[in-house]
Amino acid sequence: MDIISQLQEQVNTIALLAVNTFGTLQRDAPPVRLSTDYPEPAANSNPSNPNPTNGDGNPNPNPNANPSANPSEEANNVAEQPKAMSAALVQAAKKFDALVAALPLSGEEAQLQRIAELQAENEAIGLELQKQLEAADLEMKQVQELFNHATDNCLNLKKPD
Amino acid sequence: MATGTAASYPPPPPYYRLYSDYLTDPDSAPPPPPPVEGSYPLYGATYTTEAVLPSLEDQGVRQLYPKGPNIDFKKELMSLNRDLQLHILELADVLIERPSQYARRVEDISLILRNMHHLLNSLRPHQARATLIHILESQIQRRKQAVEDIKRRREEAQKLLKESIQILDSQ
Repeated sequence: MDIISQLQEQVNTIALLAVNTFGTLQRDAPPVRLSTDYPEPAANSNPSNPNPTNGDGNPNPNPNANPSANPSEEANNVAEQPKAMSAALVQAAKKFDALVAALPLSGEEAQLQRIAELQAENEAIGLELQKQLEAADLEMKQVQELFNHATDNCLNLKKPD
Repeated sequence: MATGTAASYPPPPPYYRLYSDYLTDPDSAPPPPPPVEGSYPLYGATYTTEAVLPSLEDQGVRQLYPKGPNIDFKKELMSLNRDLQLHILELADVLIERPSQYARRVEDISLILRNMHHLLNSLRPHQARATLIHILESQIQRRKQAVEDIKRRREEAQKLLKESIQILDSQ
């Protein structure tokens, strides 16, 4: 992909990472502690939920492991996700800077001048090519004439059986 | 189908009568109309045949980078990138402290992104000229190669002819 398209893709990627970051944080953020009077949310509400999708005949596979694993898992995720996502955002921004630095830019007048030079050179070499082609065509016709004469003479000298 | 009079297709334009003898005499039919130039209306909207990138003001978007004939694209793009990162951080702060005021910050971020895209789009003519230069250079290269090839083959043919003359003379 050319560099300008890569840059455009990178801008879109940065925007996508930003909205994903904010969306994920807003979705997964734990509720805010409003006052010290209210207790922490209970962690043992899971065993009371039935498991309708479990067809093994084992309604509660891990009654003790699930509730205690969930809050600590969630706490880990909530702490690590912002780090990972912000690292990705900064990486994307750095890649954008690197791509911008790699842009091969030059002035418009310099480009137009180069185009004019190349057109003149193209014209000249086109004329030369045409000259050579015409000369080669002429020589080919001459050689074909000579070949025809030679074969005619050969045929005339040969006695038919 | 009988009740579809309001929704039936319009009849074909009456020009078809002019082409009744087209197969026998192609010149009896009128020539095709010339291509449209300038601006033309289409389905209620006006379009133009000139292919030029509309400026940000034409689209109603504030331009953040300085105007002028020569824009330093690299510098402007890098500073817009930095601005974008700062605004994202500002949005995060606003969401923590005053969540109801997110709208202004989100608008700022989208403004910066539109400016970046506009800058990148205005680099496309430069890319087109660079592509043209590349094409001209490769064409010149191919033509030079062809000229060399033709010269070489002609010399070989001349050599062969001279040799064959020598052989015929010596016999």
